[in-house]
Amino acid sequence: MMRNFWLSFVTVTVFVLTLVMVNSVIILNVLANASVKSVEGRVQVTVYFTSDASTDVVKNTQSYLLGLSQVKEISYLTADEALTIFKEAHRSDPVILAALDEVDGNPFGQALKIRAYNASDFPFILEALEAPEYKPFIKEKNYDNYESALRVLSNFSERIRLGFLTLAVFFGFIAMLIVFNTIRVAIYVHREEIGIMKLVGANDWFIRGPFLLESIFFAFLATGIMAGIVALTLSFANPALVAFFEGVDVNLITYYSTNALSMFGAQFGILAFLGLGTTAFAMRKYLRV
Amino acid sequence: MITFKNVKKEYPPKTHALAGVSFCIHAGEFVSITGQSGSGKSTVAKMIFAEERPTSGQILIGDWDISHIGRGDIPALRRQIGVIFQDFKLLPKKTAYENVAFALEVAGESGKRIREVVPHVLKIVGLAEKSGRYPKQLSGGEQQRVSIARALVHRPKIIVADEPTGNLDAITAREIVELFTRINDFGTTVVLVTHDRDIVNGLHKRVITLREGKVVSDAEKGKYLLA
Repeated sequence: MMRNFWLSFVTVTVFVLTLVMVNSVIILNVLANASVKSVEGRVQVTVYFTSDASTDVVKNTQSYLLGLSQVKEISYLTADEALTIFKEAHRSDPVILAALDEVDGNPFGQALKIRAYNASDFPFILEALEAPEYKPFIKEKNYDNYESALRVLSNFSERIRLGFLTLAVFFGFIAMLIVFNTIRVAIYVHREEIGIMKLVGANDWFIRGPFLLESIFFAFLATGIMAGIVALTLSFANPALVAFFEGVDVNLITYYSTNALSMFGAQFGILAFLGLGTTAFAMRKYLRV
Repeated sequence: MITFKNVKKEYPPKTHALAGVSFCIHAGEFVSITGQSGSGKSTVAKMIFAEERPTSGQILIGDWDISHIGRGDIPALRRQIGVIFQDFKLLPKKTAYENVAFALEVAGESGKRIREVVPHVLKIVGLAEKSGRYPKQLSGGEQQRVSIARALVHRPKIIVADEPTGNLDAITAREIVELFTRINDFGTTVVLVTHDRDIVNGLHKRVITLREGKVVSDAEKGKYLLA
């Protein structure tokens, strides 16, 4: 099976490097999705009502908004709570804080804190509050906009993902070249044996079969090594990742153990496909049976 | 058994290895094909086991027209024809036993049958005691006997030997030819390609002589023709 140890070693190593890139993309994807979900969960709009707005008006508005399918939850705030939140939201703006001090008493009325299922739903919700029966009672709509943060995060993860995918394709290509060369050398080294096989009546598959099996074995070995690397890496890194993404569900061990069969099965399948294709091409070129 | 009908073989641009060769070898015959280097005798041998294909003409093995044999049919043909070469073509990392067994393994024979047949064939060629030796531990004559055992292991109807004595001394060469004669006595057709005059003259069998790709003589109990 192992017709040439060093060539086989290099082939498996490059196969493993290809899978390292693929698994990096997978891990990055899991982390990026968890991060985006976490940031999206924090997006909310606080609607401040005028001080003359009655509790009935505020409760009516709350009922109206809860009727919208885009709204996830609404918290009611008293005037004092609204003032505290407003001050907290504008703590870095001395002009607004100074203006508040000038005003005698609490200029705020009651407030509603709105969370949506998706950050992209907020424009629709804000538009709904423009209705004439609510608009006169609304003093301000404070949108804690994480959109730019989300955009930066997803752009960053997209670029990293693209980088790793490019590397995976690159290593995949190198792996194909190495498999091609491995088979070419193996055919050359064993040309006498192959000639004798043909002479004594060996059929095509008896001669070609070992080469094809060899490439499947390389793919299997590389996938096994990769699974070992992933298991070992995650057992060390997962506690640190969970601590780093506090409050976000990023348990990669659970993710991998749930999807191990399909993920590593697919990785083995891709490597075997690349290996078999390249081997078949090399045999077509160099092995005249 | 083996029929060549006006067989021609050309190699580009203008080399004519065979220029219209016709003959018929019957089942059970022992035929020597002789001629000087470049006369086309090895090309004839290669065409019998489909290593080469004719440019034109027809080659029949029994009723099987192999002139345009498909790649997939060649293994079946080669299991019916035992082939022996001057350079033995043995696998150096396999023992005599394993070299002979290899021919059965590639045909998908069972281990039981291999264990039955191989010792028997090695006994026929006189190597039962040396079956565990590697080719480099055997003399040239012994290596050629292993090669003959390997050719016999499929019980072929035809044996084609291309210069089988070329690397052997005169005494060993005679022993090998005697082995071929015994194989022929069992009913196997033997085609011996050689340019060894003493061997041809000592056989007193049919001789086909080629010169420049043509049959110049085909004689029962023939002799080696001098140029």
